[in-house]
Amino acid sequence: MSPADWIAVIGFLALFGMLVIRVPVGIAMALVGVGGFAAVVGWRPALNQLAISPVRTITDYNLSLIPLFVLMGVLATNSGMSRELFRAGQAWLGGLRGGLAFATISACGGFAAISGSSVATAATMTKVALPEMRRAGYPEALSTGVIAGGGTLGILIPPSVVLAIYAYLTEQDVGQLFMAGLVPGLLAVAMYMLCVRFAWRRDLPAGTPAPWSERFAALQGVWAVGLLFVAIIGSIYFGVVTPTEAAAAGAFLTGVIGVIRGRLNLRLIRASLVEALRTSVAIYTILIGAMLFGYFLAVTQTPQKVTAFLTGLGLGPYPTLLLILAIFVILGCILDAMAMIILLVPIVYPVVTGLGFDPIWFGVVVVMTVELGMISPPVGMNVFVIKSIARETSLMTIYRGVLPFVVTDLVRLGLLILLPALALWLPGQMR
Amino acid sequence: DVTLRLAHWVPAQHAVQITGFEPWAESIREASEGRITIEIYPAQQLGAAADHFDMARDGIADIAYVNPGYQPGRFPIAGLAEVPLNFANATGGSRAFDEWYRAYVEAEMPDIHMCLGFVHDPGTLHSTRPIRVPGDLSGLNVRPAQATVGRYVSLLGGANVQASAPDSREILARGAADATFFPWDSIFLFGIDSVTKNHLDLPLYVTSFVMAMNRASYDGLSPEDRQVMDDHCTTDWAERMAEGWAVQEASGRDKAIEAGHELYAPTEQETAEWRASIAPLMEAWSADVAATGADPEAIHTRLIELLRENGALNE
Amino acid sequence: MLARIETLLLRVSRGVDVIAGICLAVVTVVMFTSAVGRYAFAAPIPDGFDLARLLLGVAIMWGFASLGLRGGHIEVDLFTTAMRPSWQRFFEALATLIVLGFTILLAWKLNDRALSAWRSNEATYDLRLPVWPLIGLIWLGAVAACITTAARLIRLIRGGGPIPEDDPA
Ligand code: NA
Ligand code: NA
Repeated sequence: MSPADWIAVIGFLALFGMLVIRVPVGIAMALVGVGGFAAVVGWRPALNQLAISPVRTITDYNLSLIPLFVLMGVLATNSGMSRELFRAGQAWLGGLRGGLAFATISACGGFAAISGSSVATAATMTKVALPEMRRAGYPEALSTGVIAGGGTLGILIPPSVVLAIYAYLTEQDVGQLFMAGLVPGLLAVAMYMLCVRFAWRRDLPAGTPAPWSERFAALQGVWAVGLLFVAIIGSIYFGVVTPTEAAAAGAFLTGVIGVIRGRLNLRLIRASLVEALRTSVAIYTILIGAMLFGYFLAVTQTPQKVTAFLTGLGLGPYPTLLLILAIFVILGCILDAMAMIILLVPIVYPVVTGLGFDPIWFGVVVVMTVELGMISPPVGMNVFVIKSIARETSLMTIYRGVLPFVVTDLVRLGLLILLPALALWLPGQMR
Repeated sequence: DVTLRLAHWVPAQHAVQITGFEPWAESIREASEGRITIEIYPAQQLGAAADHFDMARDGIADIAYVNPGYQPGRFPIAGLAEVPLNFANATGGSRAFDEWYRAYVEAEMPDIHMCLGFVHDPGTLHSTRPIRVPGDLSGLNVRPAQATVGRYVSLLGGANVQASAPDSREILARGAADATFFPWDSIFLFGIDSVTKNHLDLPLYVTSFVMAMNRASYDGLSPEDRQVMDDHCTTDWAERMAEGWAVQEASGRDKAIEAGHELYAPTEQETAEWRASIAPLMEAWSADVAATGADPEAIHTRLIELLRENGALNE
Repeated sequence: MLARIETLLLRVSRGVDVIAGICLAVVTVVMFTSAVGRYAFAAPIPDGFDLARLLLGVAIMWGFASLGLRGGHIEVDLFTTAMRPSWQRFFEALATLIVLGFTILLAWKLNDRALSAWRSNEATYDLRLPVWPLIGLIWLGAVAACITTAARLIRLIRGGGPIPEDDPA
């Protein structure tokens, strides 16, 4: 191994060491990036990276859709849209056996259509749906599991912060990636419902059908969500606006609709801004770290070496792909979704596209793989979010409830690998 | 032995790397009998496109490919090269630019050692609707190529829509922009040809580039190695750097004709209108340069002189 | 005395939040208005692009300061949660110290960046307004982050509990 190789190895070890003692992921990456760059190139240039790169990252126009889609989701939550979605689901599906679980999944899917984040979807649904399912006597494992699983729809059904970051890292079209997530997202809704039906068939409480008047009344509550989704995703699909403009319009209009309906006041808007900003900063910190870490990897030629190693194994396209996905799944057990995408995509992307796989399709595959990581033990962000709200529920219970959804996700991932058209058909229809 | 990191921001397959940087690096390796290795970092691997000047200044790269027009206000003199309708071709144009800018680079870029400077093949306006006279830009959304052209668009009553080259297809397809400034083949390279079927058939503008070297990296070379670098930082090399890329870009015009696109060659009177339209831009440029204490008149005259000498003046 | 400093710090941190939040609101409105202006009247806000992205940078860096006191970064807490509470506190303080070290380096180098923008006349695209004031605000956000991160570290060492979630009222 060359000195640069050793420095790279030491860098990864230092990164891991800092992660173990809970240094924020982004800051650990930034420090290793600067330190490693210093070891290869020199201290002064390495420190000067801190003057140049972070400012470029936080003022990058192409990333601005991330805070805007986050803000949109927060404003939607604070103006009660998630509750209305659940009510509508309850009115229409509540009559079925296990209807509240179905209602939760559909509400998660609906909320995902206006929110870019998985964690936000899981958090808001815990507050809205968990008390109702408890009251109706649903097993705690099922109630929390269905929310954790449903929450992952947030980054698959557009808009999606994770797909936006993938697009940024790989210079792919955000609009196309959003469209590619839609069909697999709807498939996920259907498969989660089947999963509930079969995995818990003995424990599902009977439903209480709602009168038709109530069903239509509930629909009136969700017009705002429908309008926002159609306006935003529709205008991206038909090429009327760029995704960044759609994000700005989405955040702005969600706020305006909330104010007009009397759901948002100045205090709530302020709280929403602060909350959206904190979430965004957590993402940006990782992006800052990833850029600095990336420059370090570049001067050690690590991505090229990984590519050469993986293609040198001579496994052929599909086994190599499965190997990469297995690495994602294993790392997903302990790493955060966002951190994983930002850390690994730049390294494996050249391998995967070099093997002839479609970059848009791979984006969706990657998102579904990190989704799995969000609910897989021992570190599943969605599970932790639920736990932080439902403090009295044990982690074991939630993980037990999540397990069937993990299996469902794996099946869906297999389907997507066998049938790339599931992701690629819709973006292919765009102009 | 020394290794010099050369950072740029276009893809590794881009003509400027294949026909410019790579032969240049190889020639340096040979001339130095293998003592100097140039390591090329393409595609923003060491930093963002607009940061390449600072990267050379700060030693993040030893040599960086700088587009001075990416940072409005910072390099006013260099901006003259980007004023439309001066350059007729890239080869003589690069000779003229290199020789011309060498005289001012100490004043304008004191933090770096200029190796050489060159320009790309004259590009033009590619649009989703016909553009024939400068007045047609009024009320249009236009993606400018660099800051000077951006100012030109504003002065003509158009609106600037900023986007990187790879993002241009998207904004044009989505109607966020109606036209873009590009050299000819780039519209095919970035897939914009499916959207912009109209082209103004005029060598309208060029973008200038400077190969900037970190001062300490240059000063730290042994005398023999420094001589090798000096021999490769010449006006001749400026032309060679531009040549292959220029041939590639120029071929784009033929491709557009072959594809049945609408190329509009302005009449004599319309061309005169285009010429007249740069007057306010030149005024703004002169004011900027005068504010730095330099003499815009003399600087302008000198560039025109050199362009004429090198057979690259757009007349 | 210490209690008063604590109150002051919380007030400062709320001020930081407000600055950052206002920036994000302005970014949203500017981008929306500019897009509408472009499609409806072919007249986006001049410099809307540069203004939006630079203000977003200000918002993010001041938001970074907000997280300095409260935490909220993405971390891997798998290993520390398995430790004894005293070790957990030790590692939390150590991690915060590392964060503080990074933040100080960042503030120092961002000062260089702002000075460079000032000296080199970097300007916006359309109106050629100088960009150094906004880069300067980004630098100030990093300075604020040094203060809030130091406050968090001191609180941790003194054994203070988690920062109370601010009542948005
Ligand atoms: Na979503
Ligand atoms: Na996990």
